[in-house]
Amino acid sequence: MFSKSFRACDRKKLFQLACTGVVIGTLVTLTGCATTGVAEQKVEANPVDPYENFNRNMYGFNNSVDSYVAKPISDAYRWVTPQFLQTGVYNFFNNLKNVNVVINDVLQAKFDQGLQDTGRLALNTTLGLGGLVDVAKSVGWQQNDEDFEQTLAVWGVPQGSYLVLPLLGPSTARGIPGSMFDTAANPATYVGFPVQLVSMLNSRANAEGALKFIDEAALDPYVFTRESFLQWRDNLITDGKSEAKNDLLDLEGDLDVKNPGAASDSASVSKNDGSAKEVASTPVDNKTVQTFDQASQSFDEANTKIDRLKSKRHKKRK
Amino acid sequence: MLKAIRFTMIFAAFFLAAPLTAQAETAETAKQVVEKFQAELIDVMKQGKQLGYAGRYAKIKEAVINSHDLNKIARIVVGKEGEKLTVEQQNKLDEVFSNLSIASYAHNFKDYSGESFVFDAEEETTRGGVVVHSHLVIPDDKPVKFDYMLKENGSSWRIINIIANGVSDLALKRSEYTTILQREGFDSLINKINEKIDNYSKQ
Repeated sequence: MFSKSFRACDRKKLFQLACTGVVIGTLVTLTGCATTGVAEQKVEANPVDPYENFNRNMYGFNNSVDSYVAKPISDAYRWVTPQFLQTGVYNFFNNLKNVNVVINDVLQAKFDQGLQDTGRLALNTTLGLGGLVDVAKSVGWQQNDEDFEQTLAVWGVPQGSYLVLPLLGPSTARGIPGSMFDTAANPATYVGFPVQLVSMLNSRANAEGALKFIDEAALDPYVFTRESFLQWRDNLITDGKSEAKNDLLDLEGDLDVKNPGAASDSASVSKNDGSAKEVASTPVDNKTVQTFDQASQSFDEANTKIDRLKSKRHKKRK
Repeated sequence: MLKAIRFTMIFAAFFLAAPLTAQAETAETAKQVVEKFQAELIDVMKQGKQLGYAGRYAKIKEAVINSHDLNKIARIVVGKEGEKLTVEQQNKLDEVFSNLSIASYAHNFKDYSGESFVFDAEEETTRGGVVVHSHLVIPDDKPVKFDYMLKENGSSWRIINIIANGVSDLALKRSEYTTILQREGFDSLINKINEKIDNYSKQ
C-alpha cells in the first residue's frame, strides 16, 4: 500500500540527493540573517519529530511543487502511456533496484534471501527482457524490499529524527546516508538524464494511489504521512515482525494506568520505542532548531510565491 | 495496488465509532468475532454496486458496531487530550467518529474482485487481550497482512485495533487526533471529520 509511494520517494531521493545537500546548505546560510519569529505553538514536542515546524513547512512546499509540477507531468504520463508500457517501465526500474537489494541481503546476512533475489535479478534480466517483464513473480519469487537504511538499522544505528527533505519527502536522520548508498548502488544512477526522468515519472505515477488515499483519509495529512511512513519503515526493518503486541500494550497502558506522565507521548513513540529514547537522550540543540525554523520560513515564503505565480497565471488566462 | 491501499486503510478507519453499547450476545471467541466481521465485509463488497453508498453504509454499520469496541477506541484515539474534553464534547466526538468510521468502510469497500481473508494464527497478549493474525488475499497482488487486536468487554470480545501490513490504525489515528486537538482545538477536529464524511458520501 504505502510502500509504493514511499518507495517512490526513495527513488526520487536517488536522483536528487546531491542537489538537495546544496539546497539545504544554501538555505540555511541565507536564512541565517532573516528575521525569525515562527509562531510558537504550545504543542508538546514529539521526540521523534523535534523539527516539526521545519518539517511541516517543507511538507507544504513539497506539496505545492507536487501539485504544480510533478502531478501534472505524471498525470500526462499516465494518460499517454498504455498500461502495459507503464507496467514494463515499473518492472524495469524495479529490476535494476534488485542489484541493491542483493547487496543489502548480504550485508544483513540474509543469505538465502540473497540467493533468491540474485535468481530473481538474473531471471528477469534475461527471460524477462532486461527486466521489462516480471517473470520471477510467476515462478513465485516475491519482490523483497531491502535497502541500506534497513541494513543500518539491523546493524544497530538509531533512527534519529524524522525529516522531510525538500523535493525528496519523508526521511529520517538514518535514512539520508541510507539513500546515498542506495543511489550509488543503483545502476539507474549512472545512465543519462532521459532515463532518470522516466524513472522519476514512474515513481510519481506509482505513488498516485497512495497519495490519493492520504488525501481522502487524512485529517492531518502531515501527521498521517509521518506516522504511516515511520511505521512502514519499521515494518520493513523488522521484516513484518514489528512489535504489534507492544503497540497494544502501550496504548492500553495509557488507559489502564492513569499516569499522565507515561501517557504523554504519542503513539508513534510507543511504536518506535527504541529510537525515541535515543533521540530523547541527545537533547536537541536550540540553535539547530532555530536554524531549521528559519530555513522552513524561507520555504514557506517560496510556497506563497508559487501560489501567487499560479494565481497570476490564472488571471492572465481569464 | 490502489485496492491494497484501500483495504488497509479502511479497516483502520473504523474504529472510533459511537458509544452504542456493545451487547454481549452469546459468547463468541475472538477469532469468531473477527471472522464474522470479515465475512460481512466481503459480503458488502460483493453486493457493493447494487447497494450503493447508502446501502453499504447501513449494512456495514451493524457489522462494525457488533464487532468493535467503539467506546474504547474513541477514548484511546484522543489519548491524554481526552481529559480536557467536556462530556458533551466527548459525546459529539463519539458520534462523528462513529459516522466517519462507517462512512470510510462504505466508501472504500465498494466492489469485489475475488478477495478473501485467510486466518493465520491467534495469540494471547500478556494483558489478557488476543491478537488474531490473518491476511487478505488479493488476486494478482501481494497479500495484505491484517492483525486484529481484541479485548474482552463484558463477556464478549471486541476489536480495538487493526494493524494492516504493520501500520497500526489506532496509533495513526491517535497521532492525528491528539495533534489536531493540541494545535487547532476541538471544533476544528469535528469540522475536519465532518468534511471527510461529506467527501466519502459524494464519491
